[in-house]
Amino acid sequence: MIIFLMFVGLFLLIMLNVPIAIALGITAVITMLIIQGTAALPNIALVMFDGATKFPLLAIPLFIFAGAIMNTGGISKRLIAFASALVGFVKGGLAMASTATSMFFAEMSGSAVADVAALGSILIPAMKRKGYPGPFAAAVMSSAATIAVIIPPSIPMILYAVMSGSSVVKIFVAGIIPGIMCGLAMMGLSYGFAVRRNYPVEEVFQLKKVWSTFKEASWAFIVPIIILGGIFGGFVTATEGAGLAVLASLFVGGVIYREINWEHLKEATIEGGISTGVVMLLVAASALMGTILTELQIPQQLAQQITDLTTNKYAVLAMLNLFFLVVGCFLHSAAAIILVVPIVMPLVHAVGIDPVHFGLIVTLNLGIGQQTPPVASVLITACSVAKADIWEVSKVNVWYVGCIFIVLMMCTYIPAIPMFLVNLFYG
Amino acid sequence: MLARYQNIFKKVMEYIVIFLMISLSVLVVVAVIYRKSGMSLSWYDEVASVMLAWLTYYASALAALTRGHIGFNGLLNAMKPSLRIPTLLIGEALVIGFFILLAWVGVEVLVILGGDNLTSLTWVPTRLTQSVIPIGAVLFIVGQLLSFPDMWRQAMSEQGIAGHEDVEIPDEVPQNAREGESP
Repeated sequence: MIIFLMFVGLFLLIMLNVPIAIALGITAVITMLIIQGTAALPNIALVMFDGATKFPLLAIPLFIFAGAIMNTGGISKRLIAFASALVGFVKGGLAMASTATSMFFAEMSGSAVADVAALGSILIPAMKRKGYPGPFAAAVMSSAATIAVIIPPSIPMILYAVMSGSSVVKIFVAGIIPGIMCGLAMMGLSYGFAVRRNYPVEEVFQLKKVWSTFKEASWAFIVPIIILGGIFGGFVTATEGAGLAVLASLFVGGVIYREINWEHLKEATIEGGISTGVVMLLVAASALMGTILTELQIPQQLAQQITDLTTNKYAVLAMLNLFFLVVGCFLHSAAAIILVVPIVMPLVHAVGIDPVHFGLIVTLNLGIGQQTPPVASVLITACSVAKADIWEVSKVNVWYVGCIFIVLMMCTYIPAIPMFLVNLFYG
Repeated sequence: MLARYQNIFKKVMEYIVIFLMISLSVLVVVAVIYRKSGMSLSWYDEVASVMLAWLTYYASALAALTRGHIGFNGLLNAMKPSLRIPTLLIGEALVIGFFILLAWVGVEVLVILGGDNLTSLTWVPTRLTQSVIPIGAVLFIVGQLLSFPDMWRQAMSEQGIAGHEDVEIPDEVPQNAREGESP
């Protein structure tokens, strides 16, 4: 009964527009008072402090900070020029180049909202000027931005790893192939739209131009090679890799390209700090809720009830996929991970699902959630940039979301797709 | 007058957040250099974790001012203003009540911790590191109260309250991009 009331209370608080982090805190405190009495009150302060000191989460502000430096350091426009020279010669070339740029950018940015804000603000107006309809341009950028959370580094993956006690690095590696698959599928879809609707060719293919734009962008490519190579090679941890990303992006933007705008960088640093505070307050409050969940053994009870119904891991994965797709429509990805992952992990372990495989599935599900209203942070950002109606954009975007969904289904039921590189590197 | 206080609070919190972000980045990079030189910093993990907690609560207070915390405003906005206002007030009271409690128990804990010090830096009292809980809670309340009049105005309007995801084109975008020039 108390469990039911706790979740109803949490739901009501969220419906009252109480921020989710604080709704979690209030629910946990009231439950704590009912179960343990007022003697447990000082624990609230201790748990809220300890919850915010999870060392692996240090990577989050650092990757956000690195992304902010790259956004202001001239890297975006060089990536766009290279992608345009590479695929701009086919019909719908600029749309395809937009997706390709997002794939490159994803290797440096862990946030889809940052991706769509940085690239969409340049590419959406450019597409509109070339005659692409605004809703189509917004849909291309919105869906492509989701690749940022699938291809490492990825902030949702870091959060998942911490909440589930899994390896950040292995989950990063698991995201590489699905991220590339999503990107290629989206580019293929853009080509299909372009042929059918007669969208223009961006530019003539010139090997010389591909080479010159590659040389210009080469420093931008070196940054992810250093960061991801260092992390995957075991030379640095994910947190240290994030620190190096800050250093490398400052070097490339400030010393090589000499384009860092310090005023914009200051603004971006503040934005990055706020994003960190928002996510980390959720983490801290979830630690408070975690003590209650542990006390009441809710995750274990859930695992027991579902395994009484079925122990088939693919049936359980189907249930979890459906659950995360629904949750993703209503919750920000960070909130969804923090709220749901600790509850379902005992079930995941009980039916023998690899936590790394599951981490990738969660990321793909929540990537779709970023594109599905009412809470669709990435889609709304793209619509805001394109000044397009969310419904009109969604009519096109549904096809691109379909690409991510197909990759999700493939990754769910063919674990070798995400796990191939993980097994190759880490046995 | 209110705008002046909002601006002062915003500026102070922004500089704290910038300082913490830069310090954290420098600390991590320096720690990597030391570790690779075979001279690992014994205090790095503990200090970096404490700094992350500080960043969490100071940045959260700034996010309270900008109403940047993740929430769901769909139901509130679907209500008529006559019902929306009391619902908003209940939500605001609950948020402030939670942080008053957190500030109070935060001070209690500081008393309990007495003369404890950090494990790796024995000259740093845990009272100092833990002080972020009561201070952060009070700052959150200040941020929430300073931004309340704007929330009230939004709640009174037909459009309702803007959510954390209702973003505008970020400032760092080059002006030519906004005007639709070629990349």
